[in-house]
Amino acid sequence: MKKPLLSAAVLLLAAALCIVSLASDFRSMQEREPIYPGPGVTSVRMLSDWFPGIHGTPGDTEVYILEGKKPGSSMLVLGGTHANEPSGVLAATLLVENAQPEEGTLYVITHTNQTGFTCTDPQEAAPMRFMIDTPAGPRWFRYGSRASNPIYQWPDPEIYVHASSGQQLSGSETRNLNRAYPGRPDGTLTEKIAYAITELIRTEKIAVEVDLHEASPEYPTINAIVAHENAMGLASDSLINMQLEGMEISLEPSPKNLHGLSHREIGDFTDAYALLMETSNPAQGRLRGRTDEHLVVTGQDKFYLKAFGYGRLYVPYDENGHPISQRVARHVTGIAAFANSYTEMNLGGERGGINLGTLPGYEELESDIGPYLCPKA
Amino acid sequence: MLYLYLGIILFLLVLIVWNMMTEKNLMVQIDAALVIVPLVLRLLLIK
Repeated sequence: MKKPLLSAAVLLLAAALCIVSLASDFRSMQEREPIYPGPGVTSVRMLSDWFPGIHGTPGDTEVYILEGKKPGSSMLVLGGTHANEPSGVLAATLLVENAQPEEGTLYVITHTNQTGFTCTDPQEAAPMRFMIDTPAGPRWFRYGSRASNPIYQWPDPEIYVHASSGQQLSGSETRNLNRAYPGRPDGTLTEKIAYAITELIRTEKIAVEVDLHEASPEYPTINAIVAHENAMGLASDSLINMQLEGMEISLEPSPKNLHGLSHREIGDFTDAYALLMETSNPAQGRLRGRTDEHLVVTGQDKFYLKAFGYGRLYVPYDENGHPISQRVARHVTGIAAFANSYTEMNLGGERGGINLGTLPGYEELESDIGPYLCPKA
Repeated sequence: MLYLYLGIILFLLVLIVWNMMTEKNLMVQIDAALVIVPLVLRLLLIK
């Protein structure tokens, strides 16, 4: 064999070995983390039940339904719209495994954009998984991508045109579920997922919809509720109750000219009170140092400590970081406060209120979420 | 559209492997081997 041919053959073999090894690593993210439905879960359906157009696609996902002892209004909680914002997934999982509603029905989607959990964002060096310590041992969750996996929706256009408003955004936003609402039945996979969620809200007459998110500490809308104008009264009342529990939180109105977001389009296109919650996740920020499992779980980063010293952050930051237990506590406390305010303000009228039963309080969750995410046998 | 882009990748891969076989400069061959990895992963819709 000639020398160039021999070296080419050796290099091709090396490339093949790399491909096999990397493929196995990437494909491992297709494995879904186990969720253990608690005693409050009365049924589990698939999102495609509300829009068969996503049946059998990687975008289909479980919808956990927790019917209360008394009929009442319905609430939908969306975790994992962005798979790199893990406190939403954990808060939704915690509800599925612990909530026992007394009145009304709670719908929970833990992994709203399932395809986002099957890859990580390029050039972010983010871990694929992270562990939560529980009394029964460590439990794993995936840390995915902000957008849908491009292998299911490719290529991206140069410019993403939001269908119902004509708004133009960067092409990669075409895979961002929270720029796709209210969705389209004949659109991209991401638009179909958004459409399925909108259909669920319309069909089940969801009264309150809460979309759980995280953002970097240098982002101005942080530790905040973003509310559609129809939901401002509900959000204001809930905010006061959250602050009484010792949780610092602000309220932002949903911008009327920023389209595709759940708090805008679900409020415009359905009868639900559309709300979104943001907590602070340093693992997403531009100022962060090493991005690993430790940063995802503890939120501790020396560069953010410096940035806070220079007054560059919108939230307090010290050497304790922003641990995931605190971020999950914020989401769960917010959801409980929305349900309580909805009932106290009698917004459901004859339909009745929403009582999620006894949920762990803010301080309890902030100290440790492990006991509430304990794997069941 | 997807299949058109997969076709472009396949075409590129054939050209790169062909070039690799005929190229005498080892560094260029190594470059080609590196480029092959992400292209194959996308062609197989793995990454």
